[in-house]
Amino acid sequence: MAETGRYLYAVTRDLRPQATADVAGVGGTSVETLAHRGLTALVSTVSLDEFGEEPLRRNLEEMAWLERTARAHDEVVRLAAEHGATAPLRMLTICRDDRAVLDRLDEMYDDLVAALARIEGRHEWSVKLVLPPTSTTSKPPSSTAATPPPAGRAGGGAAYLRAKKAAAQLQRESQDSAARTAQEVYDELSSLAVAGRRLRPQDPRLSGLPGTMTLNAAYLVDDACSDSFTSAVTRLAGSHPEIQVRVDGPWPPYSFIEGDPS
Amino acid sequence: MTVVARGEVETLRPVSDIALVDLLDRLLGTGVVLAGDIVISLAGVDLVEVRLQALITSVRAQAEREQRAWEERIR
Repeated sequence: MAETGRYLYAVTRDLRPQATADVAGVGGTSVETLAHRGLTALVSTVSLDEFGEEPLRRNLEEMAWLERTARAHDEVVRLAAEHGATAPLRMLTICRDDRAVLDRLDEMYDDLVAALARIEGRHEWSVKLVLPPTSTTSKPPSSTAATPPPAGRAGGGAAYLRAKKAAAQLQRESQDSAARTAQEVYDELSSLAVAGRRLRPQDPRLSGLPGTMTLNAAYLVDDACSDSFTSAVTRLAGSHPEIQVRVDGPWPPYSFIEGDPS
Repeated sequence: MTVVARGEVETLRPVSDIALVDLLDRLLGTGVVLAGDIVISLAGVDLVEVRLQALITSVRAQAEREQRAWEERIR
């Protein structure tokens, strides 16, 4: 029989073992609970033929495997989060055995307790700003095109260069203004959240959102404030019609678990 | 919930609809990081950046193939 490891999804508090009965974990495994000092770890037994270091390197290159595993991990975390504050672990955290899981819980006990207290009654919301691709950035502005070029070859060439320069200038201005808007929106929403983080903007080929992502933010928001938070996003979207605004949530607090409180 | 441009609000999306890239932003970029007696001490982010880079490369290769096919058609 192949060697196995314990895949660790998340840590929560006092979760009943029956709570995980209906969810499938990564690789179709069943999900179990390990209780320890008032904490509950959600774990599955995984084969190291699939989840060992070398197989993982191959599997991570396979989009379908990566997606399946990410969604299974997320589903288990969400299920636990429905029952109470849940600290998700980074995907693909695998311990040798239960003893190793419990040792980690002991080692991280204070941090975990603090993290769970920090996220209690709160969820993560994602806010993205995307500046759609515009025709003005790829062509000279139409006002220039409408102006008849001065007679003579030299004059026409100069007009072309002027128009090209003006278009480049316009593009720079629009990018600068988009960056300023992104910072303003980020700051304004931060005032409604417990914490905020700016994640790296996503590539349009991965996000499927054409244009330039100027903000990819994550916020930790009190559940009691989630309506006012989303209303604020809607209001901001209304006052910036030139930018596409997306808000997604509630998420488990994935972006707000790391040890250092940033 | 998703709000799309210009104050327009969409309803809650099913979990299966969550963009994979949003999930990976979170599942690999953050979370509690364990160290020590672990079989896998993955630099997950690095590996996945390799993977996403490969995806971008394949998207680009596909676009180039389409471009070449188009150029051949109009020749």
